[in-house]
Amino acid sequence: MDDTLIISGHKIDNRFFLGTGKFASYKLMQEAIISSGARVVTVALRRVDTQSAHDNILKYIPKECIIMANTSGARNADEAIRIARIARAAGCGDWIKIEVIPDNKYLLPDNAQTIRATEVLAKEGFIIMPYINPDLADARRLSDAGAASIMPLGAPIGTNKGICTRELIKILIQEISLPIIVDAGIGRPSHAAEAMELGASAVLVNTAVATAEDPVLIARAFSLAVKAGRMAYHAGVVLPKDQAEASSPLTGFLR
Amino acid sequence: MKVRINGEDLDFSSLVSIAEFIIQRKIRPETVVVEHNGVILDRDKWESTMLKENDALEVLSFFGGG
Repeated sequence: MDDTLIISGHKIDNRFFLGTGKFASYKLMQEAIISSGARVVTVALRRVDTQSAHDNILKYIPKECIIMANTSGARNADEAIRIARIARAAGCGDWIKIEVIPDNKYLLPDNAQTIRATEVLAKEGFIIMPYINPDLADARRLSDAGAASIMPLGAPIGTNKGICTRELIKILIQEISLPIIVDAGIGRPSHAAEAMELGASAVLVNTAVATAEDPVLIARAFSLAVKAGRMAYHAGVVLPKDQAEASSPLTGFLR
Repeated sequence: MKVRINGEDLDFSSLVSIAEFIIQRKIRPETVVVEHNGVILDRDKWESTMLKENDALEVLSFFGGG
């Protein structure tokens, strides 16, 4: 069965997306990308330190990867729009993860501003991946505005708490026809597998890989967990029951 | 001449183009994008664009991010 993820006509043959922040070095980040086989990686746009030499992250990202700039640092729609345009001018292509975060404590996104930025940028031909609090009405608005996927958070960024928004993500998967990509909060491979078992189209992980003891090894573990979770989704995961049900026959032996 | 570069006020004693500034600071031009007074400036305009008093320049590039 062909189970390739398709986003805006692009075939993506790995449902594990990797963020590039917090790695001890670009070399280590590169090894983690390669060991996981990730095909979509995110980067951020920042001011260059004009007083000292700076290394170019893009040269460490394998050629076959789609590079998706994020709009991190944006506190409202206008700033996100500005960052997206600069990222494209910098040669990053059309893929943009819109994140609008006015809150520094929980880093929770502002859905209304994200929708507004999506409306503007979709008309400019961007492939838009909006990072949102999982909300059905907002996901519908983003879909109508021309988003290419919806990226609901599992838990606040960098908390490693897993799919705390599980029931809401399930609703998005049921009701929204765009790919649902769980972003943020995924702390371990089993969380990634859980998202995929629910029917998510992909997951995006950063902190849990970059800050692990062995980022290269855990990147591969995440990628395998995503594949296992996807396979389980297709296989039809069984539901929990309150009463025991024997796996072995209970009758016709010794009695 | 005072120019605001990446949020910091810098003093220039002589006229300088954006291309010259980039070279002086040993920034590899192909790795950055420049926003001049809020407008993204194509690379082919860097040489002909001189920095002026109270200009705002943003020199940006990609870094790790999730």
